[in-house]
Amino acid sequence: MRRLEMILSRLVWFVPTMAGLVVIVFLISNVIPTDPVKVLLGENATPAQIEAMRVKLGYDQPLWVQLARHFHDIVSGNLGTSIYSQRPISEDLATRLPATLELTLTAIIVSVALGIPLGVISALKRNSLLDHILRVVSVSGLAIAAFWLALLLQFFFAMKLGVAPLNSRIDGFGPTPVTGLMIIDSMLDWDMESLHSALSHIALPALTLALPAAATIVRFTRAGVLDVINSNHVLYQRAMGLPPGLIVWKYVLRNALISTVTQIGLIFGVLVTNAVIVETVFDWPGMGTFAVQSILQSDHKAIIGFTIWIGALIVIVNLLVDITHSFIDPRGSR
Amino acid sequence: MKRRTLSALAAIAAAASFVFSGSAWAQGKYVHANNSGYDNLDPHVVFDVGRAASRINFYDGLLRWVDNPPKMIPWLAESYTASDDGKTWTFKLKKGVKFHDGSEFTADDVLYSIERMLATKKGASSLFLPIIMPGSTKAPDKYTVVFTLKEPSAIFLSTVPEILIVNSQLVKKNEKDGDWGQAWLAKNVASTGSYKLKRYDPAIGFVGERFKDHFAGWGPKAFDEIEFRTVLETNTRVQGLIKGDIQGTDGYLPYDQILRLKEAKNVQILEQESMRVFYFNIHNGRGPMSDVHFRRALAYAFDYDGFVKDILKGAVSRNAGPNPNNLWGSPKDLKPYTYDLEKAKAELALVKEPIRPITIGTLAGFSETEQAATLLQNGAKKIGIDIKIESAPWPVIQTRMQDREKNYDMVPLWKSTYYVDPNNWVGEMYASRYIGTRNTSYINDPEMDKWLDEALAISDQDKRSVLYEKAVTKATDQAFGIYVYNTRWYGPYAANVAGIRFSPIGSGQDMRWAYYK
Amino acid sequence: MKAGWRRGLNRFASDRASALGLALLVLLLVAAIFAPILAPFPGDVADFHTANRLRPPDAVNWLGTDRMGSDLFSRILFGARITITIAVVAVGSAVLVGVPIGLVAGYYGGWPSNLLMRVSDIFLAVPQIVLAIAIAQTLGPSIENVILALSITYWPFWARLVFAETRSLKNEVFIESAIALGASPLRVMTLHVLPNIASAIIVRTSIGMGATILTAAALGFLGLGAPPPTPEWGRMIAESREFLPEAWWYATVPGIAIFMVVMGFNLLGDGLRDFLDPRIRRGAGVK
Repeated sequence: MRRLEMILSRLVWFVPTMAGLVVIVFLISNVIPTDPVKVLLGENATPAQIEAMRVKLGYDQPLWVQLARHFHDIVSGNLGTSIYSQRPISEDLATRLPATLELTLTAIIVSVALGIPLGVISALKRNSLLDHILRVVSVSGLAIAAFWLALLLQFFFAMKLGVAPLNSRIDGFGPTPVTGLMIIDSMLDWDMESLHSALSHIALPALTLALPAAATIVRFTRAGVLDVINSNHVLYQRAMGLPPGLIVWKYVLRNALISTVTQIGLIFGVLVTNAVIVETVFDWPGMGTFAVQSILQSDHKAIIGFTIWIGALIVIVNLLVDITHSFIDPRGSR
Repeated sequence: MKRRTLSALAAIAAAASFVFSGSAWAQGKYVHANNSGYDNLDPHVVFDVGRAASRINFYDGLLRWVDNPPKMIPWLAESYTASDDGKTWTFKLKKGVKFHDGSEFTADDVLYSIERMLATKKGASSLFLPIIMPGSTKAPDKYTVVFTLKEPSAIFLSTVPEILIVNSQLVKKNEKDGDWGQAWLAKNVASTGSYKLKRYDPAIGFVGERFKDHFAGWGPKAFDEIEFRTVLETNTRVQGLIKGDIQGTDGYLPYDQILRLKEAKNVQILEQESMRVFYFNIHNGRGPMSDVHFRRALAYAFDYDGFVKDILKGAVSRNAGPNPNNLWGSPKDLKPYTYDLEKAKAELALVKEPIRPITIGTLAGFSETEQAATLLQNGAKKIGIDIKIESAPWPVIQTRMQDREKNYDMVPLWKSTYYVDPNNWVGEMYASRYIGTRNTSYINDPEMDKWLDEALAISDQDKRSVLYEKAVTKATDQAFGIYVYNTRWYGPYAANVAGIRFSPIGSGQDMRWAYYK
Repeated sequence: MKAGWRRGLNRFASDRASALGLALLVLLLVAAIFAPILAPFPGDVADFHTANRLRPPDAVNWLGTDRMGSDLFSRILFGARITITIAVVAVGSAVLVGVPIGLVAGYYGGWPSNLLMRVSDIFLAVPQIVLAIAIAQTLGPSIENVILALSITYWPFWARLVFAETRSLKNEVFIESAIALGASPLRVMTLHVLPNIASAIIVRTSIGMGATILTAAALGFLGLGAPPPTPEWGRMIAESREFLPEAWWYATVPGIAIFMVVMGFNLLGDGLRDFLDPRIRRGAGVK
C-alpha cells in the first residue's frame, strides 16, 4: 500500500516537474543571441528567404505564443524539427537513445563488477596495503576530470598501444538493429565480427565512465560491509569458525547489493553527466553528442527536447530504483 | 577462493584478447572518414563543403566540375547555348539516362528540381532565387530545358552544377502535405547518380552501392561500395588511416597530422593547390576600422611568416589578395603585406578616429582561427591596439556577421569555393549587393560596385578579368581585409588508392573515378 | 587494546589524508598569488614565440611549450588564479543564494516552501552540466558567464540541503525552547539554526568546490569557457588534443593540475567531515 502510494505521488509530481523543466529550458534557450533561422538557411540566404522561414517556423510570434505552441507540441509528442538535420527531434533522439543506454548500462555493470568485490575485499582486509591502495584509488577516481581520463585512456590504449579503437561505436554499420544495443544485436545476428567490433569500441568509453562510478561504489560498499561486520559481531565470529568465505560472502554480499541499488540512482545521474562529455570525446553517437552538437548549433528545440528526455530518463530510473529498493529492503520503503 | 579469482582473471583476459584484435575490410569497398555529420541527404537542403560527398556521389547535375584547375564538363546535359543578351540559356539533355529505379530521366525532372529548389528556399537556392522566377523555366520538348533569367548573369553557368536532379516521379509519390518530399528525401536518394543508397544512419553515415547502369559508364576497377562515416575527431581519422581501417579522409587536416601521416608506409598524401582563402574579415562599416590607416596598421601587425612558416609549417601558400592565387582575375604583381611594426606604427599615427579595443570572433573547433587571432592580438599589442578574442561556434559567428550592429570587428575565416569565378571571392566579399548576406565587410564603395557589377553583366572573360584585377588591387591596397594564405589540399589516402580526381569543389570526394591499384 | 591501536592508526591515516589535501590547496593558493613571481616566463600568458612551439619539457621550459610556443609551466601557474576565482565565486554565490532560501523554506514550511523545493527539484532533475552548458552557450563564452551558469545551476543543491537540515532541527528541543522564549524567527534562524548546520555546509562546500572545478573545466574543454589566450586548464586540454600523441606533455600537465586541486578539496572535505560532522562519524559506526 505504501509502495503504491509512493509510486503514485512520484507519478503525480512527474508532470509538473517536466512542465517546469520545459519552461526553464525554453526561457534559457530563447535568450540565445543566434538567429536559428539564419543558421538553418546558411550563409547564402537572402533576407526574403529568412523572413519566409521565420514566419513558417513561428519565430515571428511573441515569446509566450511560442511557449504555448511549444507545450502543445510536446503534449502531442512532437518536439519539433532539428534545425541542423531537418529531421524530427524525437526521431533524432530515439536513434541516439540506444547508444547512450548501451554505454551507461555497460558502465554500470562494469562499475558494479569492479566496485562491489573491491569494496568487500577492502573492508574485510581493513588497513591492509590493499585497502590503503584501494582507498587512495577510489578517492582519486572522483577527482579526475572525465574528459581528461578519456584522453589518457585514448592516449595509452588507442594511440600508443593500438589495442583499442580511438572512438566511435562500431566499424561500419554493425548488425541489423533489433534492440538498438549493438552488443545484443550482434549476438542475435550471431555476427562475431560485429560483436568483436562493438565490444572493442565500448571498452574505453565504458571504462572512462565506470571508474568514477566504481570509486563511489567501493566507498559505499566498504562502509556498508564495515557496518555489517561491526553490528553483527557474533555472526562474524561464527562465520570465522565455519569454512571461511562462503557465509561471509553470502551474508555480506546481500547487504552490499542493497546499499548499491540505493546508490544506483545517484550513480546513474553521475554517469549521465559524465556521458555528455565522454560521448563527445569518443564520438559516441548518443544523446550526449547530440546535445553538445545542438548547443553549438544554437538549436533551441533540440536542446529542449534533449533536456526533457534526459530529465524523464533520470526520473524514471530513480522511480525504478525506489521500487526495486522497496522490494529488497522493506525497511527503506518507509 | 584464490583459484576462483584466478579463473575469473583468465576469463577476463580471454575476453580482452577477443575484444582487442585486428579487423578487415571487404574488397572493392572504400571507406572515408568525414569531419562533419551526414544528417540529411536532401541535395537541395545540403550546401556546405563538409557534406559535399552525399551530393556528389548520389546526385548528378546538368554540368559537373572536375579536376584542378577546375573545369566544367557536360554531364546530364549534352550541350548548352546562351542567347546574345545572356538571359536565355538552352540545355540539350542526354537521352536514355536511367534513374536508379529504371525510369528515364527527362526535362520534367530538371523542371521539378529547379522549382523544388526555388520553393523550398534552402541550400544552394540562394544562388538562383535572385535571377530565376518560379515557373519561368520551360521544357519545349522531352530533352530540352530553357532557363530564362531576370537579368544577365556571368556566374549563372558556373552555378549550374549546383542544380542537382532528383527523380521527379518518385519524389512526388513521397510528398507529404506539400513538402516537396523533404521528409522523404532527407533519408532516401532518388537520382541518376553514381551510387545507390544502400544504408544510411544520420548518426553514422552512409553506404553507397555502385549504380552499374550509370549513363557515364565506369572504369574497370571502380569501387563497388563506398562508405562515408562521420568521425569528428581528427586523431581518429588519422589513426584509422594508419591502421588501414579507412582508406581516405578530408584534405584539410592540421599540418602536424599530415607530417605524422607522411611517415606511415600505407598512406599517401596527394597535394593540390586548392581555392580556399584564409583572411581576416574586417567590419569596414564601423570606426576605427573605417579608416584605411587603421586597417593598414593591422595588416602590418600580423606575423605572416610566424603563422605560415612556424605554425602551419609552410604547408600553405601566402596569398596577397582576396582572390586565390591560382584563379584568374588577380594581378600577377600584387604586393603582399609584411609583418612590419614600424610601418604599422606610422600608419597608426595617421588615424584620426579614437583608437579603441577591437573584438575578434574566432570559430570554435577550428583552432587555426584562434591561433591566427592570438597572433594578431600579440602584434597589435606591440603597437598599442588592444584586441579581445571571443570564440563562438560558426553558426553564431555567421549570424552575427550578417548583422551590421552585432558583427565582430574582425573574424578570421576561410572563403571556400562554391563556384569557380572571381565573384565567389572578391565579388561576394565587397559588392554592396551582397551586404548582409555574403558581404560581411560592409564595404559600400561605388567604385568597387561599378567594377564588380559590370563584371557580372558581361561574359567576355578578358574584359571581366581586367575589372576583377582593379577590384582586387583596390581591396588589397586599402586593406579591406587582411589576406593571409590560400590553402593547399593534402589528400590523405591509403597507398593503394588511385584515380582520385581533386577539384576545389567537393575536395576530391567524387569517388566514381577512383579505384584500388 | 588492539582495536584502540587500530582506531588511532585510522585517525592518523585520515589526518594524513586531510593534511595532504590542505597542502595541495596551499600549493594552489601560493601558485595563484605568486604566479607573476614564480613563473619563469610571466609574459607567456599572452606572448608567443612561434619558432619554439610544441617543445617537450627541458631545462628552459620545465613543462614544455604549447601550440604558440608559450611556456606551459608559467601558464599553469596563472591558470590557478582562474580556477580559484571560478570555484570561489560560483560556489560562494550558490551558497549565498541557496542557504537563505533553504533556511526560510525549512523554517516556515507550507506551500511556498513546497513550491521552492519543487523549483529546485526541476533543476536537480537534469544533470547540472547540461543546464550549465545551455546557459553558458546562451550567454557567450567568458569566465563571468561560466561562473553565472554554475551558480544558477548549483543553488538548488544548497537550498535542498539546508531545507532538510533545518526541517530536522526545527523539532529539536533547544529550537522549540528558543521559540517559546519569544526569539524572533530571524534570530532563531541566524543564531540557533545556522550555527548548527554550518558544519554540514562547510563540509559540502569543500567537496562542492572540487565538483565545480571539474564542471568548469568541462565547460572550458567544450569551448564555452574563457577565450584565448586565457590559460584556463580545461581549455588548454582541449587545445592539446589535436597534438596528441606527439605532444604528450601538453595534455598531461593541465590535467594533473586539475586532478591535484580537486583531490585537495575532496581530501579536505573528507577530513572536515570526520572532524566537524560527528553525526556522520557516529553513523558510520552504529547506524
